[in-house]
Amino acid sequence: MELEFMDVLVERDRFLIRGSGRFTPGTHLVSGRVGSGKTTLAMIAAGLGKPDRGSVRRQGIGSAMLSMQFPEQHLTGSTLESEIASWHLDPDPVLALAGLSGREKDDPFSLSRGELKRLHLACIFSHPFDLLILDEPFSALDCREKMATADRIGSIRAGITIIFTHENQHLPRVDHLWEIREGALVSLGGVPEALVGWKNKPAVLAELHKRGVYPKNLSTADILEAACRTHD
Amino acid sequence: MIDISGLVFRDLAIQKLRIPPGHTAVIGPNGCGKTTLLRLIAGLLTPSAGTISIDGCNTGEIEAGFVNEFPDRNILFYRVEDEITAPLRFRGISCRKTREMADAVIRQADLSHLTTRLSKQLSGGEKTLVALLTAVVPSPRILILDEFDSHLDQESISLSLDIIEHSGAEYVIQCTQNMDLAARCDHVLYLSEGGLELAGTPEEVFSRLKRTCFYPGLWRIRDGT
Repeated sequence: MELEFMDVLVERDRFLIRGSGRFTPGTHLVSGRVGSGKTTLAMIAAGLGKPDRGSVRRQGIGSAMLSMQFPEQHLTGSTLESEIASWHLDPDPVLALAGLSGREKDDPFSLSRGELKRLHLACIFSHPFDLLILDEPFSALDCREKMATADRIGSIRAGITIIFTHENQHLPRVDHLWEIREGALVSLGGVPEALVGWKNKPAVLAELHKRGVYPKNLSTADILEAACRTHD
Repeated sequence: MIDISGLVFRDLAIQKLRIPPGHTAVIGPNGCGKTTLLRLIAGLLTPSAGTISIDGCNTGEIEAGFVNEFPDRNILFYRVEDEITAPLRFRGISCRKTREMADAVIRQADLSHLTTRLSKQLSGGEKTLVALLTAVVPSPRILILDEFDSHLDQESISLSLDIIEHSGAEYVIQCTQNMDLAARCDHVLYLSEGGLELAGTPEEVFSRLKRTCFYPGLWRIRDGT
């Protein structure tokens, strides 16, 4: 199973992004600044957008899902129950997973943004996908939900998972790190080796590096273990 | 001073709260009423009971800038330039003065490259930055920001803090899930499902949250915990 960007280039007004790279089974994290093209690349990876030049090759990928940055853009149901049903899922276990049991008749827009994100992610995680693309899955979640989401991503054992994010504290363990730099998608390599060359690394990681401490990976447990080592 | 007394709105109840001028972070779990509190202070909601006064005035009598947590709900206009200048145009300020005031804010933020864009072309983070510029352009006394930073990278957060500082707002009330950012504010309010639980300086509030994931990550490194 593989997703390959082959000399992909997208040009929009003042915006340019180009890149080549192979996404193999495992968890990939792509970081980049605001407006650097993360969402554009996510759309292209999901097959919902086309590059101006180059191509995207998918091999052995039967099912693909893009979780969009804004959960409200996924909504089709006027109640939580009908929204979940639109994913061909049984509402009760999904509501329980999202911590929203008993609210099946509520309007999705009556939820806080974090609750809406939880509902959306519970629908996403109730299906297995060969290719799962998560665009800012942690935004609007509180720290407990960020950690729970990171755990759920970390428990995915098959397929390709690509996370586009600038979350700086609560992340899952990842296999491969990518960064968008000056309009180019750059493969930094496998983790933990790739952490050293990560330019726009999260503040917590930068602080650890400043103190000469390198975590084994990016999960909260890895960061906490490294934080303890700063005082060894 | 923002004085809240006997406040009730749906599940949110706050008996007594004083928010001093400065930058206040509102933190807590999803669904605990942070957005509701912000909307009440902004005057966008009316309490079922109790009062909120800002320096002796009612909410709604004070110029307030508001950034919604849903980026698309902030944007009204097709062109970014029209979006940023809208609060001034709605006030009937002359075109020349509107242009001067908007240019000053945009130049200070170094975001001129966004003004020629169409709103629909913006990324989520860029929409948030445009919403922030739109909120500060009329120089509000109170600036209310609902988790706008969840769409921003670290550099953009720093840029936003510069914009906020230059806005001259006496009160900045910001809901955030970034605890390192909350730790940099003057005051922190911690809401839980049970209502307002903690209020004070970052040191006072986070010292009570040390055993939770709400404790700032950078402080954990500082403490070696």
